[in-house]
Amino acid sequence: MSQGITGPINYRCPQCLFRAIDYDLLYDKEQEQYYCRRCNWEGDESEILGYYAVYKSQYKHRLKRWTVEMIEAKDEEA
Amino acid sequence: MDKFIINVIHRPELVPEYINTDAVEGKADDLGAEEVVGESLDIFRLQQDIAHRNGIKCTIQMTYAALYNDEAIALAKQYHEEFGDEIAHTFLGVNCEEFREKYGLKDPAIWLYHMDDKKRIVVDSFERFKEVFGFYPTSTGSYYMDAELIAFMKEKYPMVKIAVATCFEEGPKVFRHANNSWYTIMDGAPWTAWVPSKYNSQAIAENEEDDLGIVAVPHLSRDLLAIQDNAGDMFGTHPQNVIRGLINEGDRLPFQYNLIDQYQVMKKYNKGYSYNLIYVGPGWMGKAGRWETGYETLVKSYEDMMAYYGDLKKEGKAEDLTMTEFADWYRENKAINEPCCALWKDTLFGTKNQVFWYADSQMRATVEMKMGGAIVDLRPYASKLRRPVGAGTKANQDASYPYIVHSRYRAGPFVHYAGEGAIKSAKIRFGKEEVDLSSCRTTATYEEGDGWRKCILRPVTVEFQTLEVQIQTSYTFKENTGEIIISRKVVGSSDPTKKVVIDEFLTSCWGTTEYPEDLTGCTLSVIGKDGERNDLSYDYRCREFKTDEAATVEAVIPMVQTKVSLTPENEGCAGYYEEGYSFAPNLKIGVHKEIALDEALVSTFKIEQADGVNS
Repeated sequence: MSQGITGPINYRCPQCLFRAIDYDLLYDKEQEQYYCRRCNWEGDESEILGYYAVYKSQYKHRLKRWTVEMIEAKDEEA
Repeated sequence: MDKFIINVIHRPELVPEYINTDAVEGKADDLGAEEVVGESLDIFRLQQDIAHRNGIKCTIQMTYAALYNDEAIALAKQYHEEFGDEIAHTFLGVNCEEFREKYGLKDPAIWLYHMDDKKRIVVDSFERFKEVFGFYPTSTGSYYMDAELIAFMKEKYPMVKIAVATCFEEGPKVFRHANNSWYTIMDGAPWTAWVPSKYNSQAIAENEEDDLGIVAVPHLSRDLLAIQDNAGDMFGTHPQNVIRGLINEGDRLPFQYNLIDQYQVMKKYNKGYSYNLIYVGPGWMGKAGRWETGYETLVKSYEDMMAYYGDLKKEGKAEDLTMTEFADWYRENKAINEPCCALWKDTLFGTKNQVFWYADSQMRATVEMKMGGAIVDLRPYASKLRRPVGAGTKANQDASYPYIVHSRYRAGPFVHYAGEGAIKSAKIRFGKEEVDLSSCRTTATYEEGDGWRKCILRPVTVEFQTLEVQIQTSYTFKENTGEIIISRKVVGSSDPTKKVVIDEFLTSCWGTTEYPEDLTGCTLSVIGKDGERNDLSYDYRCREFKTDEAATVEAVIPMVQTKVSLTPENEGCAGYYEEGYSFAPNLKIGVHKEIALDEALVSTFKIEQADGVNS
């Protein structure tokens, strides 16, 4: 097996992401597979994106726009 | 006052960390690689153009490498003449062939060098700056500059007025986030501009005598709630932070605008003033993309952010200044020991969570509303801890200003198996039942007056089996005294004839990381109304003492030169201490009293420097 390389996209390990560690994945071009050198995660791009989607779900308002007025209005909320 | 000031700071780093490092691909360490330098300057030029296109003035922080690059120098001069940009200096980006040849050193972080090397670099780079531009810089920065480095710089170059002096809350969480390899270990500073103390640059100066001589600003303006339990490098006014945190969907980053808008809201808690900055190098905006994001999206994220700054400026809602202009404004309009306040709201996780931050020359305190208004992070600036960092120092890489309470690093209200974690809270007792207010979620309002700032929590309901009471907490921070007046009032009751015991307590320790530090030799004291003292030297023996008529209870943590005390205003308060043990490595002091409806337990919580230090 030849050395792992940076993949077509430089993904971070989704498993490490969930425990707040940024760790770049390597890509095994022979097996067309990404893998992590820190933990035991390996998988393809669709699995990575699936994990990322779950990760993003912690930010329930990541697409919500909060303006000055809306943030100030929170002061009045019990 | 109605002033929202923004600083946009660009640094033409010629060998940025993200572009140059790619060991996996087998690239050699080539500091002079033309393609890297060329791309870096192209990105710098693009960032400048984006800002100028939106009418925003910039501060150009020249790196050591840039001071030896004719094109970077020419660009800086051109931008200064055409747009009024400030030509400034930075200690970031030292790595280049000239530096390597002269020093033989590879450390990219000025704060981690030996002091003799720091001094050489200061003089060398400032003199080079003068040679190139014909004047000395008045603003500079790094990810961190300790008090000793700033003091030396000010002595040699008194014209310096401002510096990027720390990265807000880039402590153990960020270190871990970067696979334990990013040495900005620096929790504990203010989150916005301040005048640093001569003793420790992360602390606010007490007075003119304590003034280190510059205005300090953090590396970025960060989300004050998100960073509590997450690495701060995902939640700052820098598109790369937001993209790193996956807080985007394609090229949509509304959180970036929310963050800027929440900093505008901070005017409400700071007598009409707030400050916001972005400080970027070229590394994150390379053609190869950054994290999982492509070049086009990165560029668009910066264009969008600058466009928003530009819109705010056009609407008269923001003023763009250079760093030095801001330092002048700050000196004219703010006190040396100006307190900083923030009642920060969640705009990201979809909760009603709020957190109140307070900082002045005596402390930095964080009040967490979802923990019933417990103080969950407390830094004793009053102790004026000297903490030089870098090779040859005791602290070495750990620049954090130590805490005496940290409810995340040191357990707080929830422990596994035994003992109590570090927190400043209160417990309500009725009969044999007990409820910690940290389990009562609430929200807060803010008031301010002459010499005080107040965080007022909305009442919470405490349910016992046969009684229900409503308790309201307020914290009055008496500016620059080290004193917080804490009131716990019974504002409602299902049975007005019944009283509850309110136990105001502090569970404390010290440290800069998640790991416990030795408490041996700390002192715990209860002082009775009759003046009689009971003192204990901490030795992990689980000893306790209580008196029914306490004047005050106190603890001294000599390792951080700090004394804390609780003094009740009410008559007839019991006072106690509890020593702790190795599985619960904290010390605890508290006062308690039976309180009826419409009565309050009021106590003064004071942080001060312990005797016998810095004298």
